Formats: sequence, structure tokens, C-alpha cells
Amino acid sequence: MSVMRLDEIAWRAGGVTVVERVSFEVAAGEFVALMGRNGAGKSTVLDVMAGLRQPSAGAVTLDGRPLASWTPDERARRVGHLPQAVRAELPFTVEQLVLMGRYPHADRWFESDADRRAAEHAMTTCECLMFRDRRISTLSGGERQRVLLAACLAQEPALLLLDEPSTFLDVDQQLQCFSLLRADAESGRACVAVTHDLNLALTFCTRVIVLAGKTVARDMTAADAAARHDWLPLFSSRLQIDTTRDGRPWVSYR
Amino acid sequence: MSVESLVGPGLQAGPAERRARRWIAASVAAFCAAAIVLPFIGPSPLDLSRVWMRQEPDWSIFVQLRLSRTLLGLFAGAALALGGSVFQAMLRDALATPDMLGVSSGASLGAVVAIALGWHLAAGVSGIWAGALGGAAAVLVLVVVAATRQRDMSAHGLLLAGVATNSVCWALILLIHSLSGLSQSFAISRWLIGSLDAIDYRALAVFVVAVVVAAILVIRRARQWNLLAVGDAWAGTRGGDVRQLLRFGYIAGSFLAASTVALTGPIGFVGLVVPHLVRVRISADDRVLMPCAFFFGGVLLASCDAVGRVILAPAEVPAGAITACIGGPYLLWLLRRR
Repeated sequence: MSVMRLDEIAWRAGGVTVVERVSFEVAAGEFVALMGRNGAGKSTVLDVMAGLRQPSAGAVTLDGRPLASWTPDERARRVGHLPQAVRAELPFTVEQLVLMGRYPHADRWFESDADRRAAEHAMTTCECLMFRDRRISTLSGGERQRVLLAACLAQEPALLLLDEPSTFLDVDQQLQCFSLLRADAESGRACVAVTHDLNLALTFCTRVIVLAGKTVARDMTAADAAARHDWLPLFSSRLQIDTTRDGRPWVSYR
Repeated sequence: MSVESLVGPGLQAGPAERRARRWIAASVAAFCAAAIVLPFIGPSPLDLSRVWMRQEPDWSIFVQLRLSRTLLGLFAGAALALGGSVFQAMLRDALATPDMLGVSSGASLGAVVAIALGWHLAAGVSGIWAGALGGAAAVLVLVVVAATRQRDMSAHGLLLAGVATNSVCWALILLIHSLSGLSQSFAISRWLIGSLDAIDYRALAVFVVAVVVAAILVIRRARQWNLLAVGDAWAGTRGGDVRQLLRFGYIAGSFLAASTVALTGPIGFVGLVVPHLVRVRISADDRVLMPCAFFFGGVLLASCDAVGRVILAPAEVPAGAITACIGGPYLLWLLRRR
């Protein structure tokens, strides 16, 4: 079932066209990798999907209704967004930041027991429960990224948009993060992640969308992407897809 | 997958929430205690029993001089501290106050113009109050227009525009001051120091109602200030209407600062020191920070005024001078720690 649909989206600023004629749908259960070179417009498209930027042309619908017609609270209950980064010197504790994910659901001054349980579960999932009382400013970049992801999960959105979720994470944490998102998608959530890591995308995502030339250059299943090589030059002419001993696709470079 | 299915029931209100409630209750209690105790502090001691029996001169000193002045200090300090909290959340800077955007200097310029031109009343409102609110509004519009690009305001642009406007306002204040007659010049000097004086109860009632209404509107949005303190995108994807919130914040924060400056003159540091202390010592959560800053801000200013009444008695030290003596060293310490 389609959660969000982008129809001929364009976004222009100061006379410069960043993206145009971008169309795709995201359905429940999908984990989509939104990829492309620097400046291809990935974050712009993600911001348009999150309602942070109004498209210059085209239409975005959420659950069949124009995105612009949703109130901010209604939209936040359906769509979550992980920013690329937040400033490091935030005065809040980990728990306070994660509980902000519950604000769209809360109707009382302080959070309810259910809100606190949702936050606790998200912190457990993202392995940050042990430093729930620490200030964000005392965390490393990777720890901070896990906290931000926990805040997004605590929001319980139907569609989760992630702008480079593996930034600052070590290799093990990157694998855990993408495994978690894949499992989340399999349980019914739609996830769209901007990433530069082709191997993480081919291993964990169900679909790959490549932006190039200001529009969608490729929209394919991860299995198709692994079988084809014609999309690799969109990133670099030095890439090739090999197969590992256990049969997984592996992008390497010459 | 629902939350209830993932974890068991039975959690109680968290310790953080219980602590938050205790601090808010403590700040309200301190505010009420200050309102009762501080009027009795002054160069001439008041006898509680004589005040209770309404015997002169204790009763008149208590009602006409000390009580109104204490209440003005409490609500002026509360307004300044809350205004500072709002600007710090919006600009994501622990050192931000309405002063930085030129709002206080705009209000001062308006008030100084009113004093220099001898406006006692303007449309039934005190001329100084009307001048201060008009000056603050003019500066706010100027700064926001200067800092807006493609319907978006940048914090950096606001600060730069505020610094420029501040300089122009203070230059104009000095110019008017130097061109004014002796009595007006003295009145301007006295006003610019920033102090609390006994005030007519009708004017005080208007001020208190204005501050309380603005405070309720600001504090009701505490969750959204929390979101905004993290970032625009963070707020925009968690139920906040960022553009509307910023617009409201600049107007409400400026109104709180300007309406206070109109009655007390420019009193610095309350809007800086109190929110920062509450953030560091109690909580950064604006649902706790803003109410606590409001009540403790009032306590600080009214207490400074009480100290100023007795420290060099029979002479009085203006409350603005006392807050500057506390706030200046605190700011230096803060800069060292950043």
C-alpha cells in the first residue's frame, strides 16, 4: 500500500533548478535507498517528502491526501525525519531528546506512561538506554546519531525518512543501524534512507533510487541493482559489482 | 507495532517529571514568599502588627511604596527572564536576550523621546509606556525585515541587524539626551539607569495582566520551544510550525521586554542570568525552564531592589546597578566556561 507518492516534483531556489520531474511512490514494508552523487538533490527530495520544503512544481501525497493539507501534528504522527546532524552542544539529556519524538502523540503537559515506554523501547533498540541521563553535548558523534535515531523510532511514524543515518557510526553500528531499519520495514514501516554506501544499500535495502541529472535516473529493486551494472557509472567509472563467497553482491572499485 | 505490545504496563511518572514538578512548585513558593517578605525590607523598618492594624505611617509605607514596588519588581523580573528564555530557544544561544536584537534599546529610545517631548499621556496610556512599546515594535519590524531572505529569517542575520540597530538607537539616545533641557536630561539619566519605583496600582494592574497573558501564551508553547532549540528541521517534523512559532516568539519576547523597559528602564542581565542558571541547575526542558525562569526571575529582580534599598541607606542603589554587578561577573564566568 502506497504511503507517499511524489508526482513530477521540482524544487528551484534563486533561479537554480535543483531537481525536476521527480516521481516515485513509497509503500509500507519498503526500505528505499535514495542515492546519487553530491549535489544530486537527495536531501532536497527528502526535505520535500518531510514537508520541510514546498515543491516549486508537482504534487506530494501522504496516504492519498496532499501533504500540504496535513496539519504539522498530523503529519508528524505519520512521517518521521532524521536530520543529517544536529548541533553538538544541545543542553538536553538523551531521554529529553528521545521523548521529543512523542510530542506529536502527547496531549498532556508531561509525557504519559505509554510515551515513556515508547521512548524506553526506542532507546533500548538503539542501544542508548545506558546513557539516558547524559547530556547530548557529552556524547560522541556515533552515540549522538543513535540517540537521534531513537527519537525517530519513538515517534512511531508510518514513513521514516533518514538523511545519511550511518554518518558518524562505526562499521558495526552501521550494520546494526541498517539491520534495524530493514527489520523495521519488514514489520510494516516504510523507510527511505539517503546514503552514499552502495554496499549497505544493496545488502539491506529492498529498492534503490538513483538521482542524477536533476531527476530519477534509476528506480529498481535491490535484486535488479545487484544484477545490473549500467547504473554504477552514475557514481563513478571505477566501480564494479562482484559476488562474495556467500553469493552477496559487493561493489568494489578499481 | 504498538508500544503496549512491546513493553509491559505499570511505569509510574518518571523521577525527572517528579523533580520538575517540585522545582516549579518551589519557584512559585519563592515568588509568593518574596511578595510577602520583601516589602518589609527597607531603610525604615516596618512593624508587622502596625501594618496588620493599618496604623500610619507603616500602613502607607507598606501599601503606597513598598508593596507596589515589590510587585513591579517581581513581574518585571519575571517578564525579562521569560523574554530571555524565548530568545535563547529561538536563537539557540545561551547568551541571547531581547537586548541583542535591539528591542530593549528601541524601547529605551521610544521612552527617551517621550520624556524629552514631555508626553505624559498618549491615547490614555502613559507616554513613556506608549513610546517604549512603539520604539520596540519599530525596531522589531526593522530587524526582522533586514534579516529576512525569501520569507526565512536567519539567526545570524537577526543578530547582525540587532547589533546595527542597537548602535543607532543608543547614538540617538545620546543625541536626544545632550540636546534636552536640564530637567528632562536628569529624568532621562535617571530612567536609563534602570530602577524600580512605587507605581500607581492601576498601571501596575495593566502591566501584570499584560505580562501574565503573554507568559501564558509563551509557556503554553514550551514543547515547541524545546523542538526549536534543537533545530528548524527537528521542529518542523515533530509538529511545530516553525515560521509561525518564530514570528510569535519575536513578538511575545519583545513585548515582554519592551513593556518592562517602559516601566523600569533598561535592566540588564536578568534575562541572561536566570534562564541560564535554571538551564544548568534545574532543567533545559522549556516546560520546566520557562515557568521556573519566570518565577525565579521575579524573585531575583525584586530581591536586588530590596538590597538596593538598604545597602547604602538612606541612599538607594538602583536595581539595574545591582543586577549589573551580579550579571557582569557572571557573564565573564560564563564566557570562560563556554
